[in-house]
Amino acid sequence: MKIQEFTKDVEKNVGRCAALSEKAQKKLNAIVTFIDHSEQIEAVKKMDPSLPLYGVPIAIKDNFNTKGIRTTASSRILDNYVPIYDATVIKKLKDAGAILFAKTSMDELGMGGTNLNAYTGKVNNPYDVSRISGGSSGGSAALVAEGVVPVAMGTDTGDSIRKPAAYCGVVGFKPTYGRISRYGVIPYASSLDHVGFFTTCIEDAARMLEVCAGRDDHDMTSSYEKVEEYEKNLNSDIRGKKIAILENVMNSIEDQRIVDNFNEVILKLEKRGAIVERVSMDETLLQTLLPVYLIIANAEACANHSNLDGVRFGMREDGNDLEEIMINSRTKGFSSAVRKRFVLGSYSLFVENQEKLFRKAQKVRRVIVDEYRKILEKYDCVIASAAPTIAPHPEDSVGEKMSDTYLVAENFMILGNMSGYPSLTLPSGFVEGLPIGINVTAKAFDEQNLLNICKAIEEETGLENHTAGGSYEL
Amino acid sequence: MEKFSKEMLRKLANQVMFDLNDQECEELQEEFETYLKQLELLNKIDTEHVEEMVYPFEAPTSFIRNDDEVYAISQEDAMKNVPQASENYVVVPKVVK
Repeated sequence: MKIQEFTKDVEKNVGRCAALSEKAQKKLNAIVTFIDHSEQIEAVKKMDPSLPLYGVPIAIKDNFNTKGIRTTASSRILDNYVPIYDATVIKKLKDAGAILFAKTSMDELGMGGTNLNAYTGKVNNPYDVSRISGGSSGGSAALVAEGVVPVAMGTDTGDSIRKPAAYCGVVGFKPTYGRISRYGVIPYASSLDHVGFFTTCIEDAARMLEVCAGRDDHDMTSSYEKVEEYEKNLNSDIRGKKIAILENVMNSIEDQRIVDNFNEVILKLEKRGAIVERVSMDETLLQTLLPVYLIIANAEACANHSNLDGVRFGMREDGNDLEEIMINSRTKGFSSAVRKRFVLGSYSLFVENQEKLFRKAQKVRRVIVDEYRKILEKYDCVIASAAPTIAPHPEDSVGEKMSDTYLVAENFMILGNMSGYPSLTLPSGFVEGLPIGINVTAKAFDEQNLLNICKAIEEETGLENHTAGGSYEL
Repeated sequence: MEKFSKEMLRKLANQVMFDLNDQECEELQEEFETYLKQLELLNKIDTEHVEEMVYPFEAPTSFIRNDDEVYAISQEDAMKNVPQASENYVVVPKVVK
């Protein structure tokens, strides 16, 4: 459902979503915490009905601090944590008239790409509940795909918005690094973390960006770059736009149906007057994407989460002294997957390993980004299939393991995190009844151009406002 | 690179304040093998004279904010999530015995 289809009757809007969410929760297991909306409804009713998100229920990934609403990041160690403040972007949503609808499941602390590693368990794909939603923002993606809410917030450190968007068949947008404040978002890896969202159409993505973007003095990496009128300026005329197909990805995809779908979309864009060319990056360099990402992300995560010790907040375990309390709280509080990642991260930060691991990874990151930037200097966007397969079953999911077949195609969207460039996945069709998607990435702060090109794609696919749950009347 | 013994992995874990059980150590030993493979991939890339990339955009912050108290949380709020508190103090076992 689109934002514009929601009425100005706040109670009716919330009632609709609440009724759907009960059914959807049984099907998807996407929600960690249900929220009592009564106070919010009363507050919104006093606001100006012309506000861009007036009375619109929005689901929130469980790593955004929400004042007075439990925020666990799907980790046991934060199971009892109730924030005393709102993340900046949450405040912006509230100021725009939105209703915080529910907190959604994620891979613990954002660390994962399957949503299998959540304290509340697997999130099911709305199109086939035996399959995964993808992660780490899986709960948010699934709720929008099911048609429960029109919008959900997510975060993206490796491809955590854009991959679940592909698997669930919705729009997933991660704008430029610094475009949206990260203040109040429980971090994963600070140099790669981005705030973004899921919608059912490009128009809503444009509106959401306008609401969420802007400088925030609480986040020194947030940008002073002007926030544009993205929705008003949305224009699907792509004549003369230069589009680069990333061949490394497309050449490695074995499922011909996915390749055919992609090529069909490209043909239509050419008919609209876009200039499409094929480009490739150094294959060896692209194969380093996952290892570089993991080294940097694990190291930053290990440092970021040193404050989760059960002493000042979070779940505390007993111990005979302070050290024992911390060790017991962290051992029980983090899943085994997260603890293993912390060990890997800590190892690469040791003085004797820093040069050959952490710093080396940071240097390779620059080499990768330099090559990527050179492509985008010549083109309006880089485009490829967002995933080489449909949403897999849990036992077939590669997550962030080394996959020889798909080392590049499974992980190329990390380019958007390393570079900070805006990157969006939108649905492009179906294979075996499961959605597939296309990923488009543009130059830094060139979100308007990116949204315009994606609007043209959306018009060609006809998948605007498509949801698994069908259409629901208000 | 050195072989990763269970003892060494436990020591690494304890340094960042948690424990690993036997099974986790074994899984981690395998993951360190992958880590070594990844390192080989990285070493194929020539990074001589390349600076580390720490953040996506490296625009320096060239101003200092005024020394005003712009944001502070109340004592009451600060204590809201403390698992064990007494008279506005966080309670932990005696440190000096």
